[in-house]
Amino acid sequence: MVSLVLATVFLSLASGSAGQAPAARTAAAGTYTPPRTPDGQPDMQGMWLPGGEGLPMERASIVLPPPPVDPNAAPAAGGGRGGRGNAAQRPTMIVDPPDGKVPFQPWALEKRNEIIDKQDNFAFVDPRVRCLPAGVPRVNLPIVFNTYQILQTPGHVVFLYEWSHLYRDIPLDGRPHVDPKIRLWMGDPRGRWEGNTLVVDSTNFTDKTHLLGNGAPAVGVPAGALTGGQGVFHSEALHVIERFTMTDANTIAYEATLEDPKVFTRPFKIGWNAFQRAPKDHQLYEYACFEGDHDTVRRMTGVDIDPTLNVGGR
Amino acid sequence: MRNGVSVAVAAMAVFSLALIPIAAQAPAATASGYRGSRTPDGKPNLNGIWQTFSTAHWNLEAHTADDGIPAGQSVVEGNDIPYQPAALALRRANFEKGRASDPLAKCHLPGVPRITYIPFPFQIVQTPKHVSMLYEYSNVTRIIYTDGTPHPPPLELWMGDSRGRWEGDTLVVDVTQFNDMTWFDMAGNFHSDALHVVERYTPLDADHVRYEATIEDPKVFTRPWKMNLLLYRRLEQNLQILDYVCVDFVQRKYLTSK
Repeated sequence: MVSLVLATVFLSLASGSAGQAPAARTAAAGTYTPPRTPDGQPDMQGMWLPGGEGLPMERASIVLPPPPVDPNAAPAAGGGRGGRGNAAQRPTMIVDPPDGKVPFQPWALEKRNEIIDKQDNFAFVDPRVRCLPAGVPRVNLPIVFNTYQILQTPGHVVFLYEWSHLYRDIPLDGRPHVDPKIRLWMGDPRGRWEGNTLVVDSTNFTDKTHLLGNGAPAVGVPAGALTGGQGVFHSEALHVIERFTMTDANTIAYEATLEDPKVFTRPFKIGWNAFQRAPKDHQLYEYACFEGDHDTVRRMTGVDIDPTLNVGGR
Repeated sequence: MRNGVSVAVAAMAVFSLALIPIAAQAPAATASGYRGSRTPDGKPNLNGIWQTFSTAHWNLEAHTADDGIPAGQSVVEGNDIPYQPAALALRRANFEKGRASDPLAKCHLPGVPRITYIPFPFQIVQTPKHVSMLYEYSNVTRIIYTDGTPHPPPLELWMGDSRGRWEGDTLVVDVTQFNDMTWFDMAGNFHSDALHVVERYTPLDADHVRYEATIEDPKVFTRPWKMNLLLYRRLEQNLQILDYVCVDFVQRKYLTSK
């Protein structure tokens, strides 16, 4: 998959292609023992592709009416995205709380709705559409043209992401988090192995990223906005604890507990099989996001973020 | 895959510097004074955080100080870059346009070798199959494959495609498939899409690496030329790579200037 300069408009379409049932819940840890690296870590190295395409991030508040019945169509396999079927029973990325919804505080839910309503206004546009770093856990949410690469050296686990050349270096040596005065777009991760599970504790976030945001545009997003715009914002008090567990040679189950007492009423948890082993010889290529993005932003919001770069010039 | 490589090789073979297919290159035993630690597969252990200290980012050639720009000696062997006459005029025009024309002022990817000597640290992550580089500037990454895989079919990339091999204790990296949209420095030194870079990372001891980059571009220069720098291992105890997300800075600058 060669993605050089891709318009971020695809972000809003990213999770919709899979017509099959969403990925199964993450399997129980401990049933698979991965091989070890020379320094004794469970070996997760290699190229991975996004798992969980088609899995809605949260349970929709509004259930869309069923589509017109096509008498020639095969019986629905069930579980697809789009509001059909029994919405209350379909799996979501959010596994806790059980209602599958982001537990926003009332003021924060109002702000979220404002963000959704103003996706055609540059100041509110989904930060990922602006090619800003995805943040955590969103960097692990499926977008169809992404590739992940995991490298392990003594004392480190490194995740490389094709999308916008993001990376995370996760030190395993137990060092403390950096000074709270330092805010980082991808947070400050600290890892440890609990058996075969990599546990990553991240703090020091900015308040500029969104936690979740795959899937179809939220209900209420202006039609011309070209963005998913799910509006799941957070504050600098965000604390994320992630768990990565290989459940077989080709699957990494992912769980993340998200807490931010300034925005949510309680911690909540997401989980699915987020990493699927890529085919042999798959490679990660350059994804230059911002270098081609000014035109997308201009068409979407009328704001010209780089007047020197107009109309295909540089 | 092989056809693509042949095309790339043919395009590059204009110059006398031979582009030897990486897969056919046996590691040569070169004399090395390196006594630092080694990885389990016997290579010099480059894992850690590095940075250059030079004025190459502002101007590869010798230059007088200017506002916010320290004076510096040339990092180019022979001092001056051997431009063709028309290209030299273009370089002068780039310089006259000033710093705002630098692609980095727009937060575009810096290209190679410039990413090496912009004034930010970077981390090397070394495995038997790759030497990866994680740069603090704009979360740029490079993956240098050292597993014998060839360049992919021709692409146009901001950072080029990097394939490496070990010649004794020296990591030699062949970088091709560039676009023509990056500069070498803030002073307007530039290249075309015919750019071909060969980097040599030679560890001198545990904490110093000699960095040499040979630049060839038959559309812009009269001959290949070479720059010399040093990489210093950063040894501060609490050091880690932080972030410098210039996308945000650039977007906010244009928003507030409206």
